[in-house]
Amino acid sequence: MELGSGVRIGPFEVLAPLQPAVSRIRQSGEHHFPGRLIVVEGIDGSGKSTQLSLLHKWLESKGYGVVFSEWNSSPLVKDTTKYGKKKKMLTPATFSLIHSTDFADRTERSILPLLKAGAVVLCDRYVYTAFARDVARGMDREWVRELYGFAVKPAIAFYFRVPLEIAIHRLLDGRDGFKFYEAGMDLNLSDDSVESFRMFQGRILEEYEKMIPECGLTVVDATLPIEVQQAQVRQIVKTHLDRARELRVRP
Amino acid sequence: MRATYGKSLPSIHLDDLGGKLIVIEGTDGAGRSTQINLLKLWLEELGHAVVDTGMTRPPLAGEGIRRAKEGNNLGRVTQTLFYATDFVDRLENEIVPALRAGFIVLTDRYIYSLMARAIVRGMDPQWIRSIYSVALKPDAIFYLRLDIDQLLPRVVFTRGFDYWESGMDLYPGQDMYDSFCNYQTALLAEFDRLSSEFNFEVVNAAPDANTVCEHLKKDILRLLEKDSRKTFITKQHSELMARLSIKLEERPAVKPNTVRVTDPFPAATSAVVHASNGNGHHVVQPK
Repeated sequence: MELGSGVRIGPFEVLAPLQPAVSRIRQSGEHHFPGRLIVVEGIDGSGKSTQLSLLHKWLESKGYGVVFSEWNSSPLVKDTTKYGKKKKMLTPATFSLIHSTDFADRTERSILPLLKAGAVVLCDRYVYTAFARDVARGMDREWVRELYGFAVKPAIAFYFRVPLEIAIHRLLDGRDGFKFYEAGMDLNLSDDSVESFRMFQGRILEEYEKMIPECGLTVVDATLPIEVQQAQVRQIVKTHLDRARELRVRP
Repeated sequence: MRATYGKSLPSIHLDDLGGKLIVIEGTDGAGRSTQINLLKLWLEELGHAVVDTGMTRPPLAGEGIRRAKEGNNLGRVTQTLFYATDFVDRLENEIVPALRAGFIVLTDRYIYSLMARAIVRGMDPQWIRSIYSVALKPDAIFYLRLDIDQLLPRVVFTRGFDYWESGMDLYPGQDMYDSFCNYQTALLAEFDRLSSEFNFEVVNAAPDANTVCEHLKKDILRLLEKDSRKTFITKQHSELMARLSIKLEERPAVKPNTVRVTDPFPAATSAVVHASNGNGHHVVQPK
């Protein structure tokens, strides 16, 4: 009898159908599913969600099967995250782990099966958000990357690069402060939420900059007009879909 | 100074952690909580401040895990990470503050159970080790070991089969008995593997609770003796240790399936003796 990976116990296959895929992805994140995974990244106020929503509508109008998945939205996990945030009981480590749990649920429940089914999966924030935030909170860089070792590698990861002051200006234009964890108030950088946000997001920006070469992020200048950015995004997405015509949903 | 299994957490300063971290590991039904209760009383009598912790009463993720396990849609990677979240929450909020305050922390299971469960569910062993590399290395890990045929009656005739303890998520379509045997056999094999890697002190959990406890007490006293900071221990403990060693050596070898008044699972043991005429082994042999 043998245990561990690749394994049988008696006559029974131990591994879940998902596991070989997860195990393979662990090596490199590459996959050969018919679907395409496209993700957007950037700090709050970079305009990435606006761009993703425009891309979503365009892909749908072209006849693709499109599915959207948002950071921190697993029905199984998000209540725990919300509870932890409300009670301010999350440490950098549990903040990191609960978000990886949420991401795991979305990977197992929707992202992976949908890619197998041939969908275009759009993610608003992906593992790079965790890499940036968790490291900005003091978690070990290598540990966080290993934690997300089960993630599927996206076909394209757009990074909407924006200077901090422009992002803050955009965000404060409709509200008068930041939430506790959003501003990194748990790190005691400053008692003022705007100042804390500035310092925390500054660290996050540094992490994103390092990830551009490391993770192959596709940089979009997020200070350009919305239409110009969207045209660039569609141009790049198109090249990836050209090789994947079979993704089209036939009426 | 205290160490971790490789990576450190920003919230934990290893140099201000005194206390002792003592882990009691073992599969379901090995008598872990009985031992923890006995040890806690005993250590407190000796004048130590003791905190006991378990793997199922967590402030952050416990409720979420409980609800997720009620449904049938908890994926294996998700489950693994949910448990990891719960563990780190407990490490940071229960174990570390108690160690900092100089307590003896008795923990009912630690990362090893979580690792074994995840690995048996097909998770990559290296991935699991990397996640738990942030855990503190305990001062002692006692593994209460039972074979599957010793374990089965304890579980079956006391509280019955439980869906997750039987690994029903792994063997759908089997009945709980077959599934339990397969799952627990796999867990035991994984525990044996972890045992040598992490230097478990393997304790035969088959004898009655007091015999097992005396074994544990002897080892724990030795551990506390080594600690020069706790000066008040010395003489009283040395005497006790001497007494315990003598007692253990004098004690006759314990036969399996012997019913004692102090047995933690008297009903279970006697039931097996009865049902199989003193030889329960072939009855519960896994396929």
